[in-house]
Amino acid sequence: MVKVLLVEDNDMNRDMLSRRLERRGFTVVVAVDGLESVEKATSEQPDVILMDISLPGIDGFEATRRIKTMAGSARMPVIALTAHAMEGARDQALAAGCDDYDTKPVEFQRLLEKIARWTGSAAV
Amino acid sequence: MDDRELEHLRRENDLLRAEVRVSREAADITARAVIDQFEKTEQMLQRFERANAERVAVLDAATTVSIIAAGLDGRIHVFNRGAEHLLGYSATEVVGRLHPQVFHLQEELAARAEVLSKSTGAPVQPDDVLATLAQSRRTEPMRWTYVKKDGTAFPVEMSVTLLQGGDGAVSGFLCAGTDLTERERVQSEIRTAMEATEEANRTKSAFLANMSHELRTPLNAIIGYSEMLIEECEDDGHDGFLPDLKNIRTAGKHLLGLINSVLDLSKIEAGKVELSLEPFPVRELLTELTTLSKPLVDKNHNRLVVHCDENVGEMVSDMLRLRQILFNLLSNACKFTENGTVTLAVTRVVAAGHDFIEFHIADTGIGMTPEQATRLFTPFVQADASTTKKFGGTGLGLSISKKLCELMSGAIWFESDAGRGSVFHVRLPADPEGKRVARDVPESSATHALAAHVSGIAPAQGTVLVIDDDPTVRDLMGRVLSRQGYRVLEAWGGDEGLRQARAHHPDVIMLDIMMPDRDGWSVLNELKSHAETADIPVLLATMVDEKEKGLALGAAEYLIKPLEREPFLALIDKHRPKCEREPVVLVVDDDPQIREMMTRTLTKAGWQTMEAENGEVALAQMRSVRPDFIVLDLMMPVMGGFEFLAHARANPAWREIPVVVATALDLNAQERACLTGRVDAVLEKNAGDRAGLYAAVVSQVETALKQKP
Repeated sequence: MVKVLLVEDNDMNRDMLSRRLERRGFTVVVAVDGLESVEKATSEQPDVILMDISLPGIDGFEATRRIKTMAGSARMPVIALTAHAMEGARDQALAAGCDDYDTKPVEFQRLLEKIARWTGSAAV
Repeated sequence: MDDRELEHLRRENDLLRAEVRVSREAADITARAVIDQFEKTEQMLQRFERANAERVAVLDAATTVSIIAAGLDGRIHVFNRGAEHLLGYSATEVVGRLHPQVFHLQEELAARAEVLSKSTGAPVQPDDVLATLAQSRRTEPMRWTYVKKDGTAFPVEMSVTLLQGGDGAVSGFLCAGTDLTERERVQSEIRTAMEATEEANRTKSAFLANMSHELRTPLNAIIGYSEMLIEECEDDGHDGFLPDLKNIRTAGKHLLGLINSVLDLSKIEAGKVELSLEPFPVRELLTELTTLSKPLVDKNHNRLVVHCDENVGEMVSDMLRLRQILFNLLSNACKFTENGTVTLAVTRVVAAGHDFIEFHIADTGIGMTPEQATRLFTPFVQADASTTKKFGGTGLGLSISKKLCELMSGAIWFESDAGRGSVFHVRLPADPEGKRVARDVPESSATHALAAHVSGIAPAQGTVLVIDDDPTVRDLMGRVLSRQGYRVLEAWGGDEGLRQARAHHPDVIMLDIMMPDRDGWSVLNELKSHAETADIPVLLATMVDEKEKGLALGAAEYLIKPLEREPFLALIDKHRPKCEREPVVLVVDDDPQIREMMTRTLTKAGWQTMEAENGEVALAQMRSVRPDFIVLDLMMPVMGGFEFLAHARANPAWREIPVVVATALDLNAQERACLTGRVDAVLEKNAGDRAGLYAAVVSQVETALKQKP
């Protein structure tokens, strides 16, 4: 079973997305801020990380940078999810080490396809 | 006394007389010479005084320019009113006493002295700065600081010039300065305002970015939960909830579309959109668009027809942005059409030596009324409020498309007919930066057609200029007209049309309204406001029904497209010049009896006549037929003679028409003055002698029209 680490500070969006992913058969672990996401990346060893960018404390870019420099999590694919539609966010995400990028509100089907691509699992 | 003595005396006497005569003549000549000399001196003196007075007057008239001249000793000898005004000294205080340096900041003189010393290589003292500048003959103005008598300093722009006498010898230097206080104040205000605007723009952009983020977060939840619930209800068989849940999702997505569009629009407005130009085959884009718009086309059971001219080939553009524009137009066409046809046609046109690619998106849908059409490109405004309810959409798509088109150095325009459909046109440069080399099409088909029309047919019937951006319209009109023996000129746009109208002075102009570079209204206005083209009858042919406006602006006829062949030809025939047109006399009078008698008399005398019962009617008639002569009453309802004259004389096309006033009014001095120079004659309408009046009018007309070449 594919394990997803969902990093999201907004309660409702975290609840909604985790439930939708669980309905599709994913195991979902959550983190509510940047620091927790760095910890969980090592402790939970997820197959893919969905990373919100605007987070309290350290933001998603910084969290990704740390995840990517730690031996235990460096190879985990990180998909940045941001509500910032302004140009430049994508480049910034890729520069921080994110493997992929998508905007919120999420296009669920497209997100599933991205998860599938990065985990090598079949899209559900 | 003997004879000899007598003889001697006589001779002496004669001699004396001769001497006296000679000396008198000599005195006369001398006196005349002295008087001449005196008069000449007097004249020279007068001339010199006049010149001097003029010089003083010129100096004094320059009240805003300070003019200060100094002699070789450095002392001021000219200090004009402007200098008095700007510096607060009077001329008597300074002339012959002070040096011009006293009005300058000492540290500024010192600084300039240093600069001059360096550039000339010789030491320059602060007191010699002005003289040195004059000698360097660099007269370009520099910014200086002047100090008033009361100690206040202010900026001036000053130039220093060398003064030379008639023999070329240097006699001093002159400083001419203007006050910069006001200009610098305005400049600084502008700078402040610009900084404030830039700051406001930055704040606006930041605000929009934040807003967008803040709005997206809850929207994410709304759309996500509704989608999840839809899935759950479908799985668990709670079908009753489905319509409401789908409504929530649709509303959420609509809101998202709005946010995206607002963001897009503001990015374009803020100049933050950068185009990435690349060459691509246009057909490829069309294939993509066909696939992309298929669901939209199918939704209202429409049919999509795609047509691409053979010669379209490649273009250089921002493909993503172009796709966005065309997709927007296609989705609009699909949205407002049911069980109809949506056509996407692409052509390559050559205009003003450049290649353009034109995309035409036509539908057979609900179309727009002219009122709706005028609001079309305004953000957030759809044809009307109920449209949004029925058809959805953000009302921003067209604003964005228009802005993008402009950004890409192109244009977007449309024609629409309520109930019958709309056509949108997008014209973009095929190769905006001249990057691409592969270009296999030498000339557009329209150019060929034009050449054929111009060269092949003798102007038997007259020349018609067709101004229309649509090549098919030009082609069609050209063919129909040339078959009838007209010589046809074609212009693809407004500016080109005006150029040809001036160059060829056609007999009739067919003018389209909606054109990309310059619309028909403006072309019509230009034509009518220039004497050389004002008299050419203009037939407006357009899809927009604005007949009143067209006629008011001076169009001879107003035709709604599509044109029917016969009525169209009849109208052209009506307006083409007939071989020998009789001069037309316009009779403007509110008394029908007088009008009738007047026209009868004039017709008998061999002139054509038009009648108008007041000034307004007369002006309207003159817009379609320019009369050669006007007989004008003064007292009329609606618009009287004075007002009519004001209008008629303000229009260059009518300014030259001779006018004779026939009035029963007892004119006062003011009224007479008002008519002087504007009318050729004032005839009195004497109730007792009508026949005399008519005869007088006829004789005036004869004189006036015979004078004409």
